[in-house]
Amino acid sequence: MKKYLATLVCGFGAGVLQIVPMVKSVSCCLILPLAVFFALILDQRAAKSNSKIPMRKALLFGLFTGLFAALFGSMFEILITFLTKHNDIIASFPQLQKMIEGFPLSQDIKRDVLNLFQSMREDIIHSGFSPLYSLSIIFNNFIVNSIFGIAGGLVTGQLINSRKNININGK
Amino acid sequence: MPIIYKAAITIILIIWCIGIFIEFLVPYNEHLIYFLPYLNKTFSLVCHQENSKLITNGISETLTCARCTGIYLGLSLSSLIILLKEPKIKISFKLILFAVIPMLIDIIFYSVQIYPYSKIFAFSTGSLLGSVGFLYFYSGFKNLIIEIKNK
Repeated sequence: MKKYLATLVCGFGAGVLQIVPMVKSVSCCLILPLAVFFALILDQRAAKSNSKIPMRKALLFGLFTGLFAALFGSMFEILITFLTKHNDIIASFPQLQKMIEGFPLSQDIKRDVLNLFQSMREDIIHSGFSPLYSLSIIFNNFIVNSIFGIAGGLVTGQLINSRKNININGK
Repeated sequence: MPIIYKAAITIILIIWCIGIFIEFLVPYNEHLIYFLPYLNKTFSLVCHQENSKLITNGISETLTCARCTGIYLGLSLSSLIILLKEPKIKISFKLILFAVIPMLIDIIFYSVQIYPYSKIFAFSTGSLLGSVGFLYFYSGFKNLIIEIKNK
């Protein structure tokens, strides 16, 4: 576990930042790759190592950072929704209604989609918790963050190694 | 690298890009509307989705901002090119700087209001970063396969 402590720390940071709207407007899809980058750097500093990072390690660091980000991100999002009885689904529901009404679709399909979200919205407004919403948050976060973490790990691992080439070659 | 791995990566990226443009496809297949709110939530993890920054044709919008759309299309384009021809570009730190600096300049310039947000600039700088970024991912993935084979 100590080996992956850096991924826990950076994953926690990424999970928290992913639900902060101001941060997301600046860093977009780069939160997780940056978190993996810092996890790899932290690990190298802690181990006082200057050797090249094996890609297997970069991949595992990316995966674990993504998983921790998903865990903490999901926890905080569900908790904040429970406490405030409000979230982006409720805030964007009028816009969702307008968007779906704007499409050239049959009334049955429009009604089906809106009913699904209406029930989710009512659950959250009344009790702060919707099983469907929570399940989709958890599923989404774990899949997306794992994939972005793995990709981020490979990219940042290569970046750090290419930087080491400069330092070694003095160019 | 075996072509099956390159093809799998390309297919995943193309599916991801199709997801971004799903609103444009709904008029052609109305059942896609069931996926729309779920995909909207998925892409909200990787993009702020500010309305003014989405690419639109007046009726439909992308699920990610112009910059993110550019990044993912750039990644897909690079993966398609690499599927057909192995790159001979040497991966160096200067290459990523070349890709990141135009994007940073664009972000700084519109943040300090030298010019208003331009979807064209955002898309272009995003595409450049995506295209170059994929080379690092591909190089890392290739090295990973070599490491696994040597183990």
